[in-house]
Amino acid sequence: MNPPVPAQPLTVAGSPGSDTSSPARPAPIGKPLAPAHAASAAPQPLLSVRDLVVRYGSTTAVDGVSFDIHAGETVGLVGPSGCGKSSTAAAILQLHRPHSGEVRFDDVDLTALSERQLRPIRPRLQPVFQDPYGSLSPRRRIQDQIAEPLRVHGRWSHPAGPRRVAELLDMTGLNPALGSRFPHELSGGQCQRAGIARALANTPQLLILDEPISALDASLRAGILNLLLDLQDSLGLSYLFISHDLTAVRHLSNRTLTMHDGRIDG
Amino acid sequence: MRTTAARAAALTAVLALTGLLPWLSGTDPALSLLRARSAEQEPTPEALAAIRTDLGLDTGPVALLGRWAAGLLHGDLGVSWVSGTEVLPAVLAGLRVSLTLMGAAAAVALLTGATLAAPAALRGRAGTGTAAAVLAALPEFLLALLLLISAGVWLGWLPTSGWTGPAHLVLPALALGIPAGALLGRLVAEALPAVLEERWVELWRGAGTSRRYVTTAALRRALPPLIPQFAMVAVGLTGGAVAVETVFAVPGLGRTVLGAAKSQDLPLLQGAVLALLMLGLLAGAVGAAVRRRLLGPALRDASLTLPTARPTPVPPAVPLALGAVLLATIGWGLLREPYAIHTTARLAAPSAAHPLGTDALGRDVLARLGHGAVPTIGTAAAVCLLACLIGLLLGFLPDTATGFADVTNALPPVVAGIVVAAVTGPGTGAAALAVTLTAWPPLASHAAALTQEVRASAFLTAQRAMGASPLWILSRHVLPAVAGPVARHAVLRLPGTALALASLGFLGLGAQPPTPEWGLLLNESADYAERAPVAALAPAAALALLAALAVTLAATTTRRRTTTSQRKALSLAR
Repeated sequence: MNPPVPAQPLTVAGSPGSDTSSPARPAPIGKPLAPAHAASAAPQPLLSVRDLVVRYGSTTAVDGVSFDIHAGETVGLVGPSGCGKSSTAAAILQLHRPHSGEVRFDDVDLTALSERQLRPIRPRLQPVFQDPYGSLSPRRRIQDQIAEPLRVHGRWSHPAGPRRVAELLDMTGLNPALGSRFPHELSGGQCQRAGIARALANTPQLLILDEPISALDASLRAGILNLLLDLQDSLGLSYLFISHDLTAVRHLSNRTLTMHDGRIDG
Repeated sequence: MRTTAARAAALTAVLALTGLLPWLSGTDPALSLLRARSAEQEPTPEALAAIRTDLGLDTGPVALLGRWAAGLLHGDLGVSWVSGTEVLPAVLAGLRVSLTLMGAAAAVALLTGATLAAPAALRGRAGTGTAAAVLAALPEFLLALLLLISAGVWLGWLPTSGWTGPAHLVLPALALGIPAGALLGRLVAEALPAVLEERWVELWRGAGTSRRYVTTAALRRALPPLIPQFAMVAVGLTGGAVAVETVFAVPGLGRTVLGAAKSQDLPLLQGAVLALLMLGLLAGAVGAAVRRRLLGPALRDASLTLPTARPTPVPPAVPLALGAVLLATIGWGLLREPYAIHTTARLAAPSAAHPLGTDALGRDVLARLGHGAVPTIGTAAAVCLLACLIGLLLGFLPDTATGFADVTNALPPVVAGIVVAAVTGPGTGAAALAVTLTAWPPLASHAAALTQEVRASAFLTAQRAMGASPLWILSRHVLPAVAGPVARHAVLRLPGTALALASLGFLGLGAQPPTPEWGLLLNESADYAERAPVAALAPAAALALLAALAVTLAATTTRRRTTTSQRKALSLAR
């Protein structure tokens, strides 16, 4: 089901291939944006989740989860299906409002904000979804979808807007010519890259990666994982990487949390 | 929960509307009653006031409704304004005749349906062919008239009017049962092939299960999703009964309700409409109960994947050709003069001067047909547009829409037309209003299904996550995804809507003379079918073409690019 992701291409800048959960992953090269080693350099976490409880009706999907993510850090979240991983993601993004608990992002409790107050903050933490085709509108061209976050926040202008879209396509390894295509004309991997480009449009600090490679062919997975590593290096992003594929999570993450029945083990 | 509340609200509204008919009625009931009782008496204000006091019309709407509702609880439907007799016995007598007719029609329908579905059940062949589909789209009044002219008048095999023996039952039952049966047969024949291709059929056959057993099981699987449509067909029978009973002069509930509407005998109208509405609601409730019985908990848990129907594909050339013939005829007729009366050339046979002959006043039939397209199809276009807008609006409130739709579904256009005509008086506007009232539910359910599908998709979640406002999401993503398919669906329903309007025109509830509206045209020329068959058959042929267009258009377009939910909504809508 989940063939091991080749370890070699995953390591960046020739650092010794390390797939442990220690924070020994190579530091981003020459990018002042991100601290060298997140966990030690930033005492103030970028995201701080405290006693998060998520309910759907009478079902409790997440039952008192707490963890931190520091700037530039990747935290892996693994566990069997139905254990509450995606519910945690939705609650952090305030797409499904948590029942109780705190979600502090850059020292602001998102759970206390109204939908309107959240809107300006939302671009700073962005999701990447599992289904590459489903997360793009089938009716719009790729370039329009990547431009949409800019338009939503009134940041679209000529010629800066199109230039930014071209830059995002390039950053995510997509040929600029693909911009004028529709999602069904692209491969799953290309759609996933477009989804990442859209998430990056408004320069987020944190990406919530909810099973970003599970729906892809084994041959494409390594490409997406490498892209995520490159982007982290160049942009200083933090990731919450959710997957049931332990190997992939270990390759990408500084720390790994394991969930079971709505709780984090250990 | 909200559905139940909406259902109760809609039902209460319809009941209140029925109870308030005497007060709502646009034409003064006192005046029409005076005319009905004594033609020679002058309509002085004193005489009218006396009648109003007599009827209790002077006490205001609340008291009127209260009295009617109280009487209803005691089984008292009031006294007919025209004949002065009790309403309840008249309604029950009509109901007995109508139920007999509907029973016979149901037998005809089952027989027709079984015949049409047999090839699909036995050999797994898809669909029933275009001819059966056209038969299903043929309005009852048209088939009734064709049967009356051919079997009754020309061949003289069967009695054409009255209700004195079993022979009188044959033609009305055929006219009412054949379209319903064709629709049922077609639905089953389209649903079966998909079922027979499912894995379990292969497995059962491989295990040596008898063919009859497999076919029975396949039917058992294909039928539950069709039950709501069966119920709709049963409701359609109550509407069809009005037209068929009128054509064959059968003293049933349908003719009673139409007669009461025309003579403004409102207590009788109230009673008869109430009985028809109850019949429709009962059909819907029985359908729902049977479906629940067949599906059980699978329905509640929404865990059952249902086979998707496979309509018989029709090459696009067919509707194109039909539309071209229709348009050419209309265009030719539009160039001619529809109102010029030639008393010397009454009921003339087709000639160079009058390609389709003349009517009873010597007017050119081709010209009237062409000019009749405007009130018939033009009004239908307006109705479709309005129904599309209502459908889109209510599609965003699926729970409420379902509750209202359940009640309007129990109300065939003809019955709605009768009620509206009783309030506003017959006319094109009244007919359009009535058809609009019954045309929006399928569009709303389609819009609701699409909205649900779009709202559940991950890309809308991405929109919310990027900080887009609800208005942005609605206007740029949800509406474009829903409006296009629903508008296309509304266009597909245009010919069917035109047929509904024509049937109201045929019954005298729609456009009034001398408008050459097609239904009215058919009604006027049918009386002279023996002397001028072409003049009678020309509007019938035009309406049949419209029916064929409705069916073939739907079959060509549903094949293209439809999602499961769309197909489900489309088939529910039929």
